[in-house]
Order: sequence, then structure tokens, then C-alpha cells
Amino acid sequence: MPVFKTPFNGYAVRFSPFYENRLAVATAQNFGILGNGRLHVLSLPPAPGAPLSEIVSYDTADGVYDVAWSESHDSILVAAVADGSVKIFDTALPPAQNPLRSFQEHTREVHSVDYNPTRRDSFLSSSWDDTVKLWTLDRPASIRTFKEHAYCVYSAAWNPRHTDVFASASGDCTVRVWDVREPGSTMIIPAHDLEILACDWNKYDDCLIATASVDKSIRVWDVRTYRQPVSVLNGHGYAVRNVKFSPHHRNLLVSCSYDMTVCMWDFMVEDSLVGRYDHHTEFAVGVDLSVLVEGLMASTGWDELVYVWQHGTDPRAP
Amino acid sequence: MDTNPQPSGGSPPKPWEQSGASTSGPTPFKPPSPGTTSDVVEASGTARPGEIVTSTNSAANRNTLGRPVPTRPWEQQTYGNSYGGIGSGMNYNSGFGSGMYGSSYGSSYGSSYGSYGSSYGGYGGGTYGGGLYGNNMYRGGYGGLYGGGGMYGGGMYNGGLGGPMGGLGMGSMGPYGDQDPNNPYGPPPSPPGFWISFLRVMQGVVNFFGRVSILIDQNTQAFHMFMTALLQLFDRGGLLYGELARFVLRLLGVKTKPRKVQGPGPDGVPGPHNPRGLPAPHNPHGHQNFIEGPKAAPTGSWDNVWGDS
Repeated sequence: MPVFKTPFNGYAVRFSPFYENRLAVATAQNFGILGNGRLHVLSLPPAPGAPLSEIVSYDTADGVYDVAWSESHDSILVAAVADGSVKIFDTALPPAQNPLRSFQEHTREVHSVDYNPTRRDSFLSSSWDDTVKLWTLDRPASIRTFKEHAYCVYSAAWNPRHTDVFASASGDCTVRVWDVREPGSTMIIPAHDLEILACDWNKYDDCLIATASVDKSIRVWDVRTYRQPVSVLNGHGYAVRNVKFSPHHRNLLVSCSYDMTVCMWDFMVEDSLVGRYDHHTEFAVGVDLSVLVEGLMASTGWDELVYVWQHGTDPRAP
Repeated sequence: MDTNPQPSGGSPPKPWEQSGASTSGPTPFKPPSPGTTSDVVEASGTARPGEIVTSTNSAANRNTLGRPVPTRPWEQQTYGNSYGGIGSGMNYNSGFGSGMYGSSYGSSYGSSYGSYGSSYGGYGGGTYGGGLYGNNMYRGGYGGLYGGGGMYGGGMYNGGLGGPMGGLGMGSMGPYGDQDPNNPYGPPPSPPGFWISFLRVMQGVVNFFGRVSILIDQNTQAFHMFMTALLQLFDRGGLLYGELARFVLRLLGVKTKPRKVQGPGPDGVPGPHNPRGLPAPHNPHGHQNFIEGPKAAPTGSWDNVWGDS
């Protein structure tokens, strides 16, 4: 399956919600510690066996930690940049006019962005300054700021069915559930004993959240009964960096970890580990599942490689 | 390529939207409000456009947790409060984290900040002691002292990093000496370019260590990798391990005579006329105590770091 070599270390990968053969990759120089960043927009080859081709790429002055596609315009991308800015790129515009916007409000690195999939007019950014910010493209500043976490917020994710609800995962070992109409968080889940690096909502059960933590485990929580996790998924050898529920199957989720593997899980069965892919030779930090093509996965990592493959096949197979 | 072109109406419907099944029971969420996100948020009265939050604000929230929260790597030195007073919203405090590495980095950076903290105060930024001292006649001396502090901290704990920074704090106080000493509350002069660029460099350093610390927070593997790389970097001059070994032996009471390159220098200053081992003015490398012999140091700051034993 196709592979793409990025000049910098990969940080995040996202499939386009509009085009089944397009994806965006966020990268940062020197492992994201020091240096520039680059955002790639890649195209899958029409025939299997050919490499991924680059449509366009954008340079930034600092590393790009995350990227999200707009759900309202097929050419617009939101990038989380390590200098604290959130930048909007439009691939339909000439390179000189990009970035279209740059929002500079976070005082520390922005670690994740997520576009609202239901109302499709707003997005969230979460930052190491402990806050989550809500933005729309038509406003020059953020609409509001959610500040309750006591440590870096590593991830914020919209509920795919409740358009005003989202969850945030933080290094303060909690996941908080928010409603944008409420002044404070509506729920605090002390989900792990160590830092939580990512969270995601189940697409078919709007009350389920998965959390990925430094304690090497993934836990699935029901927000109605959050004293005990619905499921605990053990199997990663190091901190779990990212987690995503499948857009096509209720019980499947995918994760990537500092143990350099990408894993597929079924959280409802005893032997929950469905598949393990060890194609990365450095930390695997970005993973995504295609909404438009069932079973199509993408991952990126510090080995500067982007893999796209069908679940069940070898990502390295030519 | 354009298999699903729907540029105007938003992305294609999601598979879970088509499935219809939504939940396994009643949900605790309020039903969605109609309208755009900005309208909904504004109608709820929670909108605060463009709010800037510095990370220190959330410190009050820490007790909402039942467990201790680690200190942010860029928040570990209390020197940072003074820079907050400058109004830049930047956090200059560093420190490297915890454990044995933490102490050495923390001390060397902390003290070097001291050196430029006082100089910054010299042109009246903020209410920190630096501002007070900086505007009176003791300006130069104070800065010097602070710079010396940096040198001391660095020399004691971390040789390489602390030394040159302390020296910088000491040596560069000159430009502020010509401010009016009788006008402590006057408008601050425009900051000199050197200090601004220096601060930017320092923020880069702080950012660097902050990000490394976050990575270490997230993963011990990264910590190992980083320390290996750092040790390799320090050892590039061939100094680190030799000096470390000598230092440890010295602690154990073993007197190791450094191999002094003492003989007549190129300028013909003979050894006997230089009994205290001071280098001759034109022979800056005449007093090296490297175990590995007279290898040229990358900078002069490595010389004499461990004293003259």
C-alpha cells in the first residue's frame, strides 16, 4: 500500500471528509522540539502500488502538531501550530495567499484541533496553556475559552451526535465533558492515574468515550456511569498517543503509541486486540480511519513516513 | 479524484448518521439548540471573544483534583513572576523537570535568568525588585552580582551552561549605566535590540526544554533518547567524561593532577615565572586541565570550570 516520505517528523494525519483519496499530514522538524513545520495535502494513487503524491504543502514557522479538515468547505484545513497559533489554509487559493488566517490567542503550543462534524461551522483547539478554545471561520477571535484543566490539554473532540457537546483530555489525568452553552464543564471523569493524551467519542453510541493514557492503556467510558470504565484495553508497551473510534463499526477503535505500533481493538470482546501493525520504526503518533472508505487506515510517526493501508493488509506491502 | 464533490453543502453524510441507531438509552445531554455555533454560544451568555489566558490563571483550579498535578516545566522557577510583570505574557522560567537532571538544569537556568532579570528591570519594566534596584545607582553592581550568581550556580552545578550566561549578565550591564539615576519613575527607554533578541533566544531555549519535558512526561523512552543525544553533544569536545571522572575522583579524595600544559608558550613565557599557573596574556590556552591533553576547547568557558585543584 502507498507510502509517503515527509521531510519532517510526522505528527498527525487526517482523511478528507469530502474526497476518499485525499489526506492531510501535519509534520514538525526535529521531532517537534525545535524548528519549522509543514502541512502536506496528499493524494492516494488511482491504482494500487503507486506512491502517494503530494498535492500541495505549506510551511510554518513552528511545528504543526495537528490538522483538521473543514466539514463545510472541501479545501479548507485547520492547523494546530506549536507557536500557539491556529492557522487556516485553503488549498483552492494560490500558495501566496496561505495561510488564509492565523489566530494567535493560545499562549502555549496548540496540540490538537477538531472540526465540528454536525453543525460544521466551528472548531476546537486545545493547548498546553490548559485551555480549549472554540472558533468559527467568520470571527476574527475565538468565541469562548474553556479553562478548567489544571495541566496541558492534549486533545478535544466533538461529540458526533450532539452538536454542542465535546470532551477534552488533559495531563491533569481527567477527561471533561463540556456543553458550549454551559459556563463550566458538565462532567469530570478522573479517567486514568497518569496523563491522558487523547480522547474520542464513539460514533454509534453517543455516551461512550475512549481515552488513551501514559499508563499504556485505553479505557472506554460511559458518561452515564463513569465510576467504572466499560472496558480497559491493555497491550501497548508504552504511552498511548492517539485513539479514534471507527466511523463504520460501533465496537472498533484504533490507537497508536510510543511503542511504535498501531493497534485495532474491539472493546466489547474478551480478546480485544484485533490487529497490531508494527510498520513504524519510530514513535507512531498520528492515526486516522477513513470515513468514506470502510477499513482504510492511515498512520504517521517520527520515522517521517505516512502509511495508508486497508485493515488486515500489511502496510509495508508494495 | 473528486469522487464526492459537495463543496457547498458540507461534507457527505457520515455512516453513523445514515445508520439511524443513536444510543443505548437516555442521554445526559441537553438537546441541540438551533442556529450557528456563535449564535448559540452568544445566546447562552457564555461567549467571551478573544479571551487570552495565561497558564498561571488556572493554578487556582488545581484543588479541584484529588491528586497532585505535576508542575509545568516552564513554571518551576519563581523568577518567572518578574517577567510576567513586563506584560508580555511570556514565561521565562525554565527548569528541566525532576530528578537528578532537573536539579542541574534548573539551577543553571534559574541563575542565568537572574542575570538578565535584573538588567531588564534596569529600564523600569515591572514591579519586580529588578525594577527598583535597576533604576538607582546600584544598577551596575546589582546586575553584576546577579550575573555572578548565575556563574556561581552554573559553575557549581553545571559548568557548561551556567558559566557563559553568568558571564553575559556581568559583562553586558554597561549600556544601562547612562540612564538618569534621579528619575526612577520616568518612562522606560525603548529596549535595546540586543536584549530583545537575547530574550527571544532565551524563550527559544525555554520552549525547547518545555517541549522536551512534555515529551518526557509522555514517555520515558523519549527521555532516554534525549539524554543520550545531549550527552553526545556535550561530549563532542571530548571533555565531559574525562572531567566528570576527575570530579568524582576529587570528591572521593583522590588528588588527580591535571596534566597542565605549562611549558614555555609561543610567546616565550617560561613556567617558573608563572608560579600560580595563570595563563599568559597572549597564551589563552596555556592553562588547560583537560585529562585528554591539549585538545582545543570549543569555547573558553570550559576552562577552569572545576577550579584549580
